[in-house]
Amino acid sequence: MLATPISTPAKGWSRIWSRRNRYYLIAFLFVLPALINFTVFRYLPILAALRASLYQYSLLGGFGDFVGLDQYQAILSDSFFRNSLWVTLKFTIYKVPLQVLFSLILALFLARENLGTAFVRSAVFTPVVTSVIVVSVLWSMMYHSQLGLINSLLSIVGVPPQAFLSNPDRALPALTAMMIWKDVGFSMIILMAGLKGIPVVYREAAVVDGAKPWEVLWHITLPLLRRVMMFVMVTQTIFSFQVFVPVYAMTRGGPLERTKAVVYYIYQYGFLFQDMGTASAMSIVTLIILLVVSVGQMRLFRSDVSY
Amino acid sequence: MSILDNVAGNLAASTPGSSTELRRATWRGRLQMAVLIVVYVVMFLAFTIPFFWMFFGSIREEAEIFANLYPFTWKTILPIKWSLKNYLDIFGISDDGQKFGLQFQRFLGNSFLVSAGVVLSSLFFNTLAAYFFARLRFPLKNVLLVFVIATMLVPFQATIVPLYIVVDALGMANSYNGLIFPWYASPFVIFALMQFMRDIPTDLDEAAVMDGANLFHILWRVIVPLSIPGIITMALLEFQFIWNLFYWPLILISSPQLQMIQVAIATQTTQTQTFWGRTFAGSVTASLPVIVLFLFLQRYYVQGIALTGLKG
Repeated sequence: MLATPISTPAKGWSRIWSRRNRYYLIAFLFVLPALINFTVFRYLPILAALRASLYQYSLLGGFGDFVGLDQYQAILSDSFFRNSLWVTLKFTIYKVPLQVLFSLILALFLARENLGTAFVRSAVFTPVVTSVIVVSVLWSMMYHSQLGLINSLLSIVGVPPQAFLSNPDRALPALTAMMIWKDVGFSMIILMAGLKGIPVVYREAAVVDGAKPWEVLWHITLPLLRRVMMFVMVTQTIFSFQVFVPVYAMTRGGPLERTKAVVYYIYQYGFLFQDMGTASAMSIVTLIILLVVSVGQMRLFRSDVSY
Repeated sequence: MSILDNVAGNLAASTPGSSTELRRATWRGRLQMAVLIVVYVVMFLAFTIPFFWMFFGSIREEAEIFANLYPFTWKTILPIKWSLKNYLDIFGISDDGQKFGLQFQRFLGNSFLVSAGVVLSSLFFNTLAAYFFARLRFPLKNVLLVFVIATMLVPFQATIVPLYIVVDALGMANSYNGLIFPWYASPFVIFALMQFMRDIPTDLDEAAVMDGANLFHILWRVIVPLSIPGIITMALLEFQFIWNLFYWPLILISSPQLQMIQVAIATQTTQTQTFWGRTFAGSVTASLPVIVLFLFLQRYYVQGIALTGLKG
């Protein structure tokens, strides 16, 4: 701490303008721009949405009547909103466990350093750096029922052309498969970092004690990797719950509402139906769900053992 | 089985035995190697074939894409007749491009402008904030840190409509400002840079204080030069985040003149549904900057993701 001169009862001004306070003021200026950003662009929107959700509100018409919690009541009894939550949940449940499993296999398989793994790692990571919209546009062409690359590949094994995105039962799995393909490299990198973080001595000790490679994997590596896997699970759950771009670019929520994820439904309400009040209420509900999920998952984290 | 052995081999080094075992091992080793190479090639193709299809589809005549689809041969992917027409179209150079009013150079320019704005401003402000949290004294600093970290919990896509309400009220809808301002600070970047700066020995800046250097001087002369790897990493992640942004420009920008390239691809494909060649060319144009950067600076990317664990 900088010493504060316990001055004689000086004038108020010089006490405020002490050397320490001057230091604090300058220090605060370093963080101020960031604080302003977070206040205006991260916290204020939530307050604005809370307010908008209590009014009839559209972008063109501005604020209308105060309606209280009516819009919350309306969306909670709206079967389309419930459907969108269900679709989102299904997408998340399909995607996250499979993605973690695949990325774990890839991470274990590609951990060894050689030319082959270097090439494959770059390849696996290329979809991660490409934008979701490019991937979505590209895959909607690949999924095309007549002209798609996937049907061309299937024709090698004699499968006739299939509909993917226009088939109600296949559209959501098709989106999920694509998003796993896109994101698997991302979680792979985190798991690889986790693998590198495990002290080698543990594995060596087990090998010296005569453990089979599979026993080492099952009893040493995986338990020590649990924390990192949990982390990947949590973050991917949050990401997946907010899926928007593939729905927008590939199916527009169809066929038969089977892919209408909640963020897309909010977009529709706010920008296509011009009903910002309802869209805000839905955003708040989604926000609360996500906060509950992340806080719950973080408590699971904390109870875990570290090494 | 040999694949599984390879996985296990990563976890425990095997010990060579007697000479007969060794000979069998080399024979098995060769087979293993062959299988391994096949697996590598299959994995490589699984992740790259869509990109090859896209890239080669953009430099061939459009009719060719469809004509060679069945049966699947090398011609399905690789062009027989090369052509740059798709690119001439999307950049509005050819007659067809002019007819459709395509001008991807405009969208490309917008994306570069916005990305430069976000990357530069966010590097500046995030570095200042990270320096504050890592090295400066302040009452209730931990409360401020919680205030910053808690924003990580605000889900980005789910709160875009509320963000739009605020940005619209600030009069920044449909403008470059609206594309840049919300992203000039990021909790993830602050957190990552903070970790980085904490590891720099404190005697360096204490020495600078004795020299009478002020705080900004210490940051600029001592901390920033030592944080360059971290700063490059964060710049890359920021660039990738902002370049690939879709939902935000989609709702914020209403005049095509200001639109960013990722949104342009989506709107161009709905307008020109049947023009696959142009869609391919547009997608290649939109992806090239990030993919090229990634291939050259892969190490930083990987570090950055392992460090922050999150995008953007």
